[in-house]
Amino acid sequence: MKRDHNHLQPNSDPSYSLCGSSSTGKAKLWEEEAAEQDCGMDEDLAVLGYKVKTSDMVEVAQKLEQLDEIMCSVQDDGISHLAFETVHYNPSDMSTYLESMLSELIPPTFDPFGPSGTTAVAAPLTGALDDSFLGTAESSTLTTLDFESNNRKHKKSGKQIFEESSCSDYDLKAIPGKAIYSQSSQTQIHDSSSTSTHNNFKSEKRLKSTSGSHSDIFSPPPPASYGIPTDSIRPVVLVDSQENGIRLVHALMACAEGVQQNNLNLAEALVRQIGFLAISQAGAMRKVATYFAEALARRIYRLYPQNPLDHSLSDVLHIHFYEACPYLKFAHFTANQAILEAFEGKKRVHVIDFSMNQGMQWPALMQALALRAGGPPAFRLTGIGPPSHDNSDHLQEVGWKLAQLAETIHVEFEYRGFVANSLADLDASMLDLRPSEVEAVAVNSVFELHKLLARPGGIDKVFSVVEQMKPEIVTIVEQEANHNGPVFLDRFTESLHYYSTLFDSLEGSASGQDKVMSEVYLGKQICNVVACEGVDRTERHESSTQWRNRLVSAGFSPVHLGSNAFKQAGMLLALFAGGDGYGVEESSGCLMLGWHKRPLITTSAWKAANYSSSPPPLPTEFRRVD
Amino acid sequence: MARSNEVNLNECKMVVPLNTWVLISNFKLAYNLLRRPDGTFNRHLAEFLDRKVPANANPVDGVFSFDVLIDRGTSLLSRIYRPATAEEPQPNVAELEKPVTAEVVPVIIFFHGGSFAHSSANSAIYDTLCRRLVGLCKAVVLSVNYRRAPENRYPCAYDDGWTALKWVNSRPWLQSQKDSKVHIYLAGDSSGGNIVHHVALRAMESGTHVLGNILLNPMFGGQERTESEQRLDGKYFVTLRDRDWYWRAYLPEGEDRDHHACNPFGPNGRSLEGIKFPKSLVVVAGLDLIQDWQLAYVEGLKKADQEVKLLYMEQATIGFYLLPNNNHFHTVMDEISKFVGSDC
Repeated sequence: MKRDHNHLQPNSDPSYSLCGSSSTGKAKLWEEEAAEQDCGMDEDLAVLGYKVKTSDMVEVAQKLEQLDEIMCSVQDDGISHLAFETVHYNPSDMSTYLESMLSELIPPTFDPFGPSGTTAVAAPLTGALDDSFLGTAESSTLTTLDFESNNRKHKKSGKQIFEESSCSDYDLKAIPGKAIYSQSSQTQIHDSSSTSTHNNFKSEKRLKSTSGSHSDIFSPPPPASYGIPTDSIRPVVLVDSQENGIRLVHALMACAEGVQQNNLNLAEALVRQIGFLAISQAGAMRKVATYFAEALARRIYRLYPQNPLDHSLSDVLHIHFYEACPYLKFAHFTANQAILEAFEGKKRVHVIDFSMNQGMQWPALMQALALRAGGPPAFRLTGIGPPSHDNSDHLQEVGWKLAQLAETIHVEFEYRGFVANSLADLDASMLDLRPSEVEAVAVNSVFELHKLLARPGGIDKVFSVVEQMKPEIVTIVEQEANHNGPVFLDRFTESLHYYSTLFDSLEGSASGQDKVMSEVYLGKQICNVVACEGVDRTERHESSTQWRNRLVSAGFSPVHLGSNAFKQAGMLLALFAGGDGYGVEESSGCLMLGWHKRPLITTSAWKAANYSSSPPPLPTEFRRVD
Repeated sequence: MARSNEVNLNECKMVVPLNTWVLISNFKLAYNLLRRPDGTFNRHLAEFLDRKVPANANPVDGVFSFDVLIDRGTSLLSRIYRPATAEEPQPNVAELEKPVTAEVVPVIIFFHGGSFAHSSANSAIYDTLCRRLVGLCKAVVLSVNYRRAPENRYPCAYDDGWTALKWVNSRPWLQSQKDSKVHIYLAGDSSGGNIVHHVALRAMESGTHVLGNILLNPMFGGQERTESEQRLDGKYFVTLRDRDWYWRAYLPEGEDRDHHACNPFGPNGRSLEGIKFPKSLVVVAGLDLIQDWQLAYVEGLKKADQEVKLLYMEQATIGFYLLPNNNHFHTVMDEISKFVGSDC
C-alpha cells in the first residue's frame, strides 16, 4: 500500500540532503527510487512524525539505551537540567536529537563560569555546530516573561501551571524584555559610555521601480507564480455550528462556483442572497461572509480594488492588527529569537528588514542585544518599505524613533531606510554591505515574500540577492495557507476557512477599535485573494512545505527553532492572547501559531547551504576540549 | 542496578520489533523529562516534543478529517474522521457535516491515551489510529481533546468525555438511517480506556444509549501492589513509579489509588449490578504491569452480569496497537471490527 506521508507531515523536511538534485540518467533513476522509499526512512515511524532511516535504526536504539542507562544511574535532579536548561531542537530527527542529548549529558571537564555557566561554554567547544546544535537557555533567551497567567482553561485548578522555580524573578514590564544569560542573577545593562551612540542616517534612497506596468507582457502569469505543486493539506476547524452559518457557507461556495464557471448571473443572484443571510448571522461568521461577499461582488462586477493601498492607512491598520491579536507579536518574537541566537558572539550586526512598516519588531531585539553578556554589538538596521503617497518620509521617522531608543539603552546604532515598490527591485550593491567577518547580517521578512509570487522571477531574484548578503540567518514569517493554487474555487475555499478561523480568534480581542481595524486589515487581504488576478493579486500565501521547497531549491538550509523559543512564545500567548484557543506547534524546526489547532502563521529560519560564518573568536584562556 | 536495567532492555527488545522499541523508548525518555518529582509537569516541553498533525479535509487513503469546537468555554475540541465515499471522493468542504447515508453507521467516540497527562487528539500516533478505525469499522470516529492532568484533575477528563457524548448524540447528521439514532461506541487506550468506563457510567445514569465500550490497555490501579506490578515493574517500558506519578497528578489531591476513578471495582467503587452497562471489549497486554487491575476490571464486569469479552495478548507490551507491524495489532483490529460490526 502506497503511503502518502505528506498528509501527515505537512511540514516534513524533504530528504533533500540525500536525494540530491543530480539529473544525469542513472543517478536520477536511483534518486527517484530512493525518493519512493523516502530515502530509506522507516515508513511506520514516518507516519507517526519521526524520521529515522531504516539503516540507522540500530544506532538510534543504542543511543536510546545509552540515555536510558544514564537516566537510571543518576538521581532525579541529575537529569533535570535536560528538561530545564537544555534547548531541544527538531525532535522528528530522532538520531540527531538523541545525539544532542547525549552530548549534553557528557559532563564538561572545566567550569569557568561556575555551575550556571558550564553548558554554555562546553557546547561550542565540543564543536557540534550543525543544525541540531544544542544551545542553552542562558545565552539564547530573548525575553523571559513572568508566567502568571489568567489562562481561563486552567482557572479551575487555581494554581500556577508552568511552575518553574528558576523563573520567578522576571519582570512583566520587560516586554520587550530582557535577555537572560544567567538564570539566577539579575543582569546589569552594559555601560557603553566609552562608545558614543552613533546615529547614522543615510537619506532614504528611492529605488526606481523597474517593474512598472508590464501586465501585458506578464499575463497570463506563467505557472511559476502559481506555486510549486504539493500534496496539499486542507486543515479545517469548525467553530460555528449554527444552522445559518452553514447556509451562509453553502451560498458563498455556490457563488464562488458560479464565478469559477463564469455563470455570472447565478453568481450575482447568490451574492445578493448572501447579503441577506449574513445579516441574520452573528459574530465572526457575519463579518467574514460580508468581506467575502464584497470580494465576490467586485469580481463579478469587475470593480477591482485600488492597488496599492494608501500607505498611511495600511500602516494604521497594521498597528491595530499588532495590538488586537498575537500574530504579529509571535512573528516578531520568534524571528528575533532566531536572530539573537545567530548573532551570538558577533560584535557588529546588521539587520535587513524587508517588512519595516513601523519598525515594531526592533525595540525588543535592541533591548535584548543591550543586555547581552559582554555588551551589545554595534547594531545596524536597514529598513525596506513601499513608498508613501503623501511623500512623507515615514521610514526616516521610524528610524529616528529607533535611534532615540538606541541612545537610551546605549546601543551603537546605524540606520538606513530604503523605499522600493517591490523587493525584487533591490540589489545587494545598494545596501553598503560590509565584509562578513566584520559585520554579521540577518535578513528578516514578515508577510512580505508571498507578494513576490505575483510576478515571474521576483522571488528568485530576491533569493539570489539575499544570498549575496551572506546572512547568518534569514527569518521568514508567512501565512500557513494555500491561497495560491491555480483554481479559483480552491483558493476561495481555502481562504474562506482560513479567514473564518482568523476572525474567530479576533472575537476574543478586547479593544473595540483594534478589533474593528484588524478586521478591515484582514478584509483587504480577503479582497485581494478573491477579487484580484495577475500582478495585482499579491496575497499569494503558500504553505510552509511549499516555502521549504522553494528555499531549498534556491540553496538555503533550515536553521531550527528550538524549545526555548517555543516555550517563550507559549508564555507570550498566555499573557497577550485574548482567547484560549491559541497554540504553538513545532514542525521540522519551524514554529507555527494556530487557533484551535489550525496552524495560521509559520516562522522559519534559514541560512545559505554553502555559507559558514566565521566562528566567534575563542577567548584565549580556554583550550579546546575533546 | 545498571546490570538489571541492561537485562530489562535486552528482554524488552526481544518481544517487540525494533522500530516499535525505538518509538516507545523514545516516548519513555521524553516522558521521564516531563514529569517532575514535585508533581508538576513540563507542559511546554511536552507540547514541543509531541508530534502533531493538522486535520485534513482532503481524503487520504479514503479518510478525511476536520476539527470541531464542541465547547468554547473549555476550548473542547474534537477531531472528526469520516470515510470518503466512491460517490464523493473529494468531499465538499462546505459539507463536512453532511448526514451519514448508510442504514447503520457506527460512531466511535475515541479517547486518546497518555496517562491523563500526555498527547492530544492531534497527536500523530492517535490521528493514525483513528484513521485506521474508520476503515476498519466503516465508522465515523470522533477523537476528544479532553483536558489533561495535572493542570486539570478528576473529573475534567470525564466531564469533557460526557460533553462530547452529548454533542455526538444530538447531531442529526450522525443518525443512522435505520432508526434515526446515533449508534455510539466508546473507545480508548490507556487513560482513554479509563475514561470510556466512566463516561459510559454517566451515559447509563442519564439514559443515553451506548452500544459498546472498547478498552485498549485501560489505565486502572489501586493502593495494593499486585503481583503483576511487582513482577513487571520496569521491565517493559513502564515503572510503578511513573504509574503512581500519573495517578497523583490526576486524582484529587489527598486521594489515594482506591479512589473510584482509579479503582472502579475497589473499596470505593460502585456496583454495576442491575445496570444496563454497554457490552465491553477489553484488551490486556500480557507484558503490561497493570494487567492485574485490568483483569480485575473484567471480573468486576462479569460479577455484575455485564457482557464482556477479554482479549489477553500474552506477549504484547503497551503501545502494540500504535504500529501495524505485529500480530497482536492485527488480531485486535479484527476483534474491534467484529465488535462494532455485530450490531445491525
